[in-house]
Amino acid sequence: MSGRLLVGLLLLLLWEMAARTLAGTHLLAGPVDVAGWLFQHRGLVGRALAVTAGEAALGLLLGTLAAVLLAALAVLAPRRVAAVISLLMLFLFCLPLVATGPLLRVLWGPGLGPQVTLAALAVTFTSYLALLVGLRAAPPVWLDLVRSYGRGRLSELWHVRARGALPYVMAGLQIAAPAAFLGALVGEFTGAERGLGLLVIRALRELDAPATWGLATVAAGVTVAAHAAIAAVGRRLQAEPPLILAAAPGRLEGPLPVLAALALGLFLWAGAMEAAGLSPFFAKRPWDVWAFLFTDPEAMAHRAELALALAQTLRVAVPGYLAGLLAGAGLAALVILAPRAEAAVLPVAVALRAIPIVTTAPLLVLALGRGPAGTVTIVAVMIFFPTLVACLQGMRQTPRAVLDLFESHAAGRGARLLHAQLPAMLPAFFASARMAVPAAILAATTAEWLATGTGLGALMAVTASTSAYGMLWSATLVIALAACLAWGALGLLERAVLSRTAAEQLA
Amino acid sequence: MAEAPPEVTCQGLARTYGAGPDAVEAVRPLTLTFAAGQTTALVGPSGCGKSTLLRMIAGLEEPSAGSVGIGGQPPLAVRRRGGLSVAFQEAALLPWRTVEGNVALALRLARRPADPAAVAGLIRLVGLEGFERRRPAELSGGMRQRAAIARCLVTAPGLLLLDEPFGSVDELTRLRLNLDLPRLWQERGTTTILVTHSVSEAVLLSDRVLVLSPRPAAVVADIPVRLPRPRRAAMVRETRFLDLVDEIAAGLSEGGAAADRPLAAQ
Repeated sequence: MSGRLLVGLLLLLLWEMAARTLAGTHLLAGPVDVAGWLFQHRGLVGRALAVTAGEAALGLLLGTLAAVLLAALAVLAPRRVAAVISLLMLFLFCLPLVATGPLLRVLWGPGLGPQVTLAALAVTFTSYLALLVGLRAAPPVWLDLVRSYGRGRLSELWHVRARGALPYVMAGLQIAAPAAFLGALVGEFTGAERGLGLLVIRALRELDAPATWGLATVAAGVTVAAHAAIAAVGRRLQAEPPLILAAAPGRLEGPLPVLAALALGLFLWAGAMEAAGLSPFFAKRPWDVWAFLFTDPEAMAHRAELALALAQTLRVAVPGYLAGLLAGAGLAALVILAPRAEAAVLPVAVALRAIPIVTTAPLLVLALGRGPAGTVTIVAVMIFFPTLVACLQGMRQTPRAVLDLFESHAAGRGARLLHAQLPAMLPAFFASARMAVPAAILAATTAEWLATGTGLGALMAVTASTSAYGMLWSATLVIALAACLAWGALGLLERAVLSRTAAEQLA
Repeated sequence: MAEAPPEVTCQGLARTYGAGPDAVEAVRPLTLTFAAGQTTALVGPSGCGKSTLLRMIAGLEEPSAGSVGIGGQPPLAVRRRGGLSVAFQEAALLPWRTVEGNVALALRLARRPADPAAVAGLIRLVGLEGFERRRPAELSGGMRQRAAIARCLVTAPGLLLLDEPFGSVDELTRLRLNLDLPRLWQERGTTTILVTHSVSEAVLLSDRVLVLSPRPAAVVADIPVRLPRPRRAAMVRETRFLDLVDEIAAGLSEGGAAADRPLAAQ
């Protein structure tokens, strides 16, 4: 404990020194200034935090409820129906918050609606995925036991699967709580009257370094605390989170589930808009987007504008994504070579993984400027911590007997890493790489929106403020589909690699 | 209420996995009768399909051909009223439930009213008194199997299907369980079908031993065991016990030799 305290103090000291040294060239604020600002504005920050935390908690509750219902349905339904549900959930998860935020603001009007909806959307998919893996993880013999008394799938779900999934639920919640906070913050960016997000936007506009750093510190502290609190509850419930959450995607068994998900998605989209009687001026239907991109006299110009923005975004998102993955996996490999370092790095990485992008993005923008280097770094940082944690935990999965075998041959650390630990890491690495796709796009578009003024993020922000809803809906759709495709492509690669290295991981 | 022990019949029961040239025949068409109230052991080499046969009798696996009758009824109907219990290779205790909770679960699954007295009585009978509130992780392998057997018996089933229930414990514990536990169901005259790859366990527990050939399973010997009950530890050293073990072992090796010969020669 005293060691950790010492490391904490050392970090604070370094932060303060960096702030003082670079104060002339970079917008940095040290812990002394930050603490001073926070103390001075404690009432304001406290009230804003209460608002945002309340929205996040409500979103977390609603998103988790939706995830529970859908995961139960997916477990009870035949595999193909479950695949359709999963695909629709993936699409929702891939919708960029930067675009859904303004759209929800228009659809909901003023009030809490967009913040709570975004918080719920941000958690539903990860919680759904964790629950689904957990519900399906019940050993076959437990299910046989239930069946041996002539009971069906509902009894399996109630007596065996639901309680067995608890560790997965807790792990999902650990990821979901910070995500809900992030969703609420983005919702507030879109024009809320109160909340922490509003203060962040103001501080950024005024280039107020102590305020930006102070608010980022508060947001980071809240998410890390939520993460730790859920972990503590999990330990109390004797439900230690499992190490690998996102199982490799199942085989789709032909194009039918994809087509069905597409048709159902379009139907739900159009149906919801029509049922709510929303004006086609801002609530575009599928056919409006189709017209905007393909049949409108200006369709070609629309497509060109969209393609240019997409290219700009990909130019920062792809290098940032790859850099984050490589750095995360690389550092994990280095750390595992020095087991003492692992004990120090893992808790810090787990805590930092919980900090949402929105709180760090403004800091990096302030520190690195508004060029592409800043955006690439933001994306890389966003990917880096989850990858590092997943890879470290994956390498820890190396069976003891395999390590003993290497030991018995007096093999070096390098050989052990290359032949035993890296292959053991692959399932966790791929799961993390897939989850990182939407995260990379979110990070890139958020940075573009808040800072660089280029790419899809900026395009979506501009079109939202100029009421160019045709472009906003089209951009949202294009980017979500691109993320889904990247996810699918990674899934294929994952299946191909794991079928050689970890066939038991494939359903 | 205890169920009357049923007679179990298998009519042309067979199981094939896959289709076409890749098809694997696990169980050849079998026609068998298991007498009411008797304990029958199915012995055979690993992977010969004996567990598959047991699972088909329980209705946990669909046969490719043939049918099963338990007292003239299909397995599902019997399962639904809690008329049969299965003890699996693993104890299959739910880790979040106590010993008591795991035993009581069978009553809930069988849609029977809660019966704390019956649960406590069985826990005492299997020798787990004082461990009612413990969770499976706090028990040894043998204790877990005892709890699993208590769970099997709490519904007082007419048919008991045991799939190598003592396979995962050490030899000494296994012998103790073999001597202690069968009395609980044999006194009630429960029809019992036991899968095991231990020849001495088969002789010690059963009234009849069916020797199965390597995959696909076919009966190569049907050996009655006429040893007095209750069976005791000393019996395993008696000549008639050893003769039976030898007879079954011979059946096993003949079955294996028959399976090793080319098909045309059989």
